[in-house]
Amino acid sequence: MKLWIYVVRRLILLLPTLIGLTFLVFALERIGGTTLFLAQYIDPHLTGTARQALIDQLTQRFHLNDPVYVQYFYWLGAIFQGDWGTSTTIRQPVVTGFLWFMPNTIMLTLIASVLTWIISVPIGVYSAARRDSILDQGVRVATFTLYSMPLFLIGFGLFLTLGAAWHILPYQFNVDLALLPSIPRAWFDDTNSVSYPTHILALDAFLHGDWPIAWNAFLHVILPALALALALLAGIIRILRASMLEVLEQDYVRLARAKGVPERTVNNFHAKKNALLPTVTSFGYLVSGLFGGAVVIEYIFTFKGIGWWTTFAFLRGDVGAVMGSTLVFGLILVVTTLILDILYAFLDPRIRYE
Amino acid sequence: MATIAEGRPLMVGVAEGSARFDELKLSARVFFANKTAVAGLVIFLVFVGDALLVQIAPGVLGVSDPNSVIPPELQANLENCSGTPPEAPSLGHLFGTTQYPGLSGIGCIDLLQLTMKAIRIDIAISFFIVLVGAAIGTLIGVVSGYFGRWFDEVVMRVTDVFFSVPFLILALAVGFVIGRTLFNMALALIIIWWPLYARYGRSLTLTTKEATFIESARAAGSGRLKIMFRHILPNVVPPVLVQISLDVGTVILIFSTLAFIGFLPSNALVPELGVIANIGLDLAPFGYWWTVIVPGAVITLFALAVNLMGDGLRDVIDPRRRS
Repeated sequence: MKLWIYVVRRLILLLPTLIGLTFLVFALERIGGTTLFLAQYIDPHLTGTARQALIDQLTQRFHLNDPVYVQYFYWLGAIFQGDWGTSTTIRQPVVTGFLWFMPNTIMLTLIASVLTWIISVPIGVYSAARRDSILDQGVRVATFTLYSMPLFLIGFGLFLTLGAAWHILPYQFNVDLALLPSIPRAWFDDTNSVSYPTHILALDAFLHGDWPIAWNAFLHVILPALALALALLAGIIRILRASMLEVLEQDYVRLARAKGVPERTVNNFHAKKNALLPTVTSFGYLVSGLFGGAVVIEYIFTFKGIGWWTTFAFLRGDVGAVMGSTLVFGLILVVTTLILDILYAFLDPRIRYE
Repeated sequence: MATIAEGRPLMVGVAEGSARFDELKLSARVFFANKTAVAGLVIFLVFVGDALLVQIAPGVLGVSDPNSVIPPELQANLENCSGTPPEAPSLGHLFGTTQYPGLSGIGCIDLLQLTMKAIRIDIAISFFIVLVGAAIGTLIGVVSGYFGRWFDEVVMRVTDVFFSVPFLILALAVGFVIGRTLFNMALALIIIWWPLYARYGRSLTLTTKEATFIESARAAGSGRLKIMFRHILPNVVPPVLVQISLDVGTVILIFSTLAFIGFLPSNALVPELGVIANIGLDLAPFGYWWTVIVPGAVITLFALAVNLMGDGLRDVIDPRRRS
């Protein structure tokens, strides 16, 4: 099969998932009637005739008196036009909330995935190469334990030790609160603590040449990123170790050894590269874990990304933010899985025939 | 020994009585030869024993009211406790004490007792979630795998949708809509859990469907329903049971994490390990680390035990994994 045919087939398969995903979110919003849905658009302080007028207007706009499937299309239309309702926690349109908080989460997950990768690859490879050595045993015990830990214990353990107790790294908020007043209001919105233009404080401060703030903001990312990486690397190490062990049994590795290639080169050159390929498929798992985990980790470290916002909104009864995040996280996962699948089919042609 | 076992577990449905007994004996021997799996089983049994005792005879463990965070005798004389900060683990309080957030300054809720109560609820919810999710999912998976065609296609696309949202977020969204109670938390997790079993049950059905004994059953004139439930299901159930045993450890991690971030409203607290950790959330940064770490460590121990046990069980079911 040609690659482009595979891509087209994969894109066609994407369609039912997207319809299903949007319908799921739509159904969740509407399952108990329209109250939850309307709450996204109506200011709770609004009362009397003004409130009724707004309800009537919304009823007409979203065709709330028509059959459900008709309503779905009007809802979808609004989503496509960027009207995702209003968030009561930030008093802004939901989409604005995403623009504010998403960049922070993207930076956090990027750093976390890099950390996961640079920690787990050498450990996984080494552990497999020295199978059953004391180090391998230790790695297995450690990953097994880490694998059995609830996400909050990993996050909170780091929060307590490296943060609250030993003060090695900052452990709360995106920047030291003491530094907040010193940030120039020209590119920083004080009431919502949002920086411009990228909304990532470390990057914005860097762009504006404010080194101390950039450095401080950067330090605040490390602990949550480390927590997220710790939560994920156990799974990655286990997959990598297993695939490395399998590769080490292959004929070409045996041949390399037989012809006298040094053990180091065999591991790093012949085996590692081939063992990494199946690990790439677990990237999907990694991405899903990163974003799901970000919800808890950002909440623990009060790191103001989209995960923190989702939890905060959940606890405060903010429909727009919770439903919007569900849809956004779903879309991110769907799109990344698509890209990874295509990338994988490109790297390994055998996949296209399955 | 290994050759006898080769391929056998998949054919349970047609095994005769004595052969089945021999196989059980062999399976037990394989399982008990695995020391870590046995250690997992022992820890797991301790947890289950605690849960049963709290259910049947709470007095034996010194637990008075299994369903409330604050024991009644404490409820009666709250003044005696007020003003005391949480106590660190000591001989008097092995796990230390914690504080109820609604009643500031009361630091004498014994964590060991609270943990013993919580284990009962945690085990009950995790089994409830996994068993119901597995039952629904496996049935759908078997039917979908056996019928194939459009039904299979629809079921698989539906599971795709459920897999397209990170499960913690989907659980939050579902809980948000159906209400934040303990039962609804379990319900939300069942809703995100069944697709996993639908896929697993389907793939097991697809491999079993091709077996010769199914073909002969069809040739003998068995109907679809009979083939599905009499011949395929018994072969799908054992591996599903192993998956269940592994998932009990995973699901407890997820719902305790949900409880930790405050899934249950703070005016309706139940003794559940994630909730206990959530109670300590505001205390731990001020040096009272045990209020969060102890419940977290108990969850880890339980999940660890279940995972060790599940690994052993997987070796029993899948002879290729035996070494």
